[in-house]
Amino acid sequence: MDRLILQTVKHLEDLPTLPSVAVEVMSLSRSPDVSIKTISECIHKDPPLAAKVLKLANSAFYRRGAHEIETLHRAILLMGLNEVVNITTSVSVLSSLGSRKSQEQNIRKKFWQHCIATGLIARRIDTRLHMSLQGREFVGGLLHDIGKIILDEYFHDQFMQAHALSIERQCSMFEAEQEILGTTHMEIGHFLAQKWGLPPYIADIILNHHHPRDARFKDITSVVSIANLLAKASELSCGGDSMSFVLKDQQGWQILKKMGHPMDSIDLERFSFEIGDIGEEVKEYITTVSDQEDRERAYA
Amino acid sequence: MPMPEYLNTAQPGMSDETFRLLRDFIYEHSGIFFSDNKKSQLENRLSLRLKVNNLPDFDKYYYLLKYDPQASRELRALFDSVTTNETSFFRSPPQIQAFQEKALPEILGKRAAQGEKVLRIWSAGCSTGDEPYTLGMVVWEVLGEKMPEWDVKIFASDISEKALKSARAAVYNDYTLRSVPPDIKKKYFIQEGPQFRVCDDIRMLVELQYLNFNDEKRVKLMRGFDIIFCRNVLIYFDDAAKKRFVSQLYDNLNPGGYLFIGHSESLHNISRAFKLVHFPGALGYKKE
Repeated sequence: MDRLILQTVKHLEDLPTLPSVAVEVMSLSRSPDVSIKTISECIHKDPPLAAKVLKLANSAFYRRGAHEIETLHRAILLMGLNEVVNITTSVSVLSSLGSRKSQEQNIRKKFWQHCIATGLIARRIDTRLHMSLQGREFVGGLLHDIGKIILDEYFHDQFMQAHALSIERQCSMFEAEQEILGTTHMEIGHFLAQKWGLPPYIADIILNHHHPRDARFKDITSVVSIANLLAKASELSCGGDSMSFVLKDQQGWQILKKMGHPMDSIDLERFSFEIGDIGEEVKEYITTVSDQEDRERAYA
Repeated sequence: MPMPEYLNTAQPGMSDETFRLLRDFIYEHSGIFFSDNKKSQLENRLSLRLKVNNLPDFDKYYYLLKYDPQASRELRALFDSVTTNETSFFRSPPQIQAFQEKALPEILGKRAAQGEKVLRIWSAGCSTGDEPYTLGMVVWEVLGEKMPEWDVKIFASDISEKALKSARAAVYNDYTLRSVPPDIKKKYFIQEGPQFRVCDDIRMLVELQYLNFNDEKRVKLMRGFDIIFCRNVLIYFDDAAKKRFVSQLYDNLNPGGYLFIGHSESLHNISRAFKLVHFPGALGYKKE
């Protein structure tokens, strides 16, 4: 099969859309002299979105300090503009894609668990290496596989075939997708990210998380690529591709090492044992971002 | 979450902070890691040590380990209490799965390609035999009909004659078999009243022998292994001995061979010779 599916996706008229406020926030945040007031007013135009952003800002993941953050204005002051924009992006994409129906609920549930785990592990790598990626690594991890949602939604049978093939052959999901669908979740996700106007670093992560060498944003894409592997190793995998790997031989690891990050100082065994615990944190995140209704659907 | 009153018996609970201090201390001295969700396990195991030392709380216990001149003696007792001495069939399933689905097929494939159908496994510290027999069953499952074409030997050693005696008898109770998949249980065990005996096909694969790991000459003679399981053994060595022993294990392996240690044990700071391999839910060490 040739590039047919990618072309089809490009002409789909009912592709999910991002809330317009999210698009606006992302574009506002790119201008260097945007004010806190402008951003917070913009998010407020979508009250449910604003409420979710605040809820997340007050969750265990982000909360700093003892007092509850009551306004977006204060959230931006305390957490920084970037982090609030990150949260807005995550919440918006999750609400556009997160509650969509799948014929295979269980796979969809595992899918989001894997994405959240990847984001959380990326965040731990950022902390461990003092990279100051400012939450972008979490959003990147969270969204790296969104192409899979589109494939599952619009090309369900073929996507399931690819899933089965990757298990049978013990190969990567993207290799199986290429064979069955003629495209990959990276290409589809990248197209969606551009269509939605997601920040360039996110589009880059989506396209290159399996080969960070080709990425423009090499550091953050490498972090997400490693986090993705570790999430799979901690059995939070959504594809059939539960492969074994030597982390130190991976592109992402070597890129970060070459960039001068102290990779050899990481006690990898300990780091791996610690992320073995991440399942609980994943559940907590799901509870925080999903409405009761979404949650029921997710666990139905 | 606060502990319900009725569970809160003799000592006060372990605070998160003390847990982290003790966890880090244990990891540094033994290479065994207690992740956050194992806090209550550690608390349970150590509460006896508190009683024995007549200490009121875990902070005092930490202080004893860290600063008391008698700490080295206590350390040994601590290690005994943090390792589960109990062994069972198919213990730590993700490790067995990594062996079954990744390491073993890889090695068998390579051997078959070389036209040399020989497989050598060492269960180092085999205790009552649960581990080597488990490995034998897995090998049999993976090779299936091809079993007769292969020369398979599983060496199993231990320092305890008593344990070796039970291993030779190869008779186990239901509890030891609790993780065994039903089809495996049916296929490889013979029920004898309330107990289960490992079938002869599997027993013949396993060669049991007494071996003291301090006997360096004899350990050196254990050569040519494709896979070594040495789970929860290293804890009994001090750092220098651990380094010596692990580097010996490296020499005992064939190139391409794997070493598996306990599921929460670490070789960080002990050896850089191996490549750390991530399997789903388990780690392994590969000699290249």
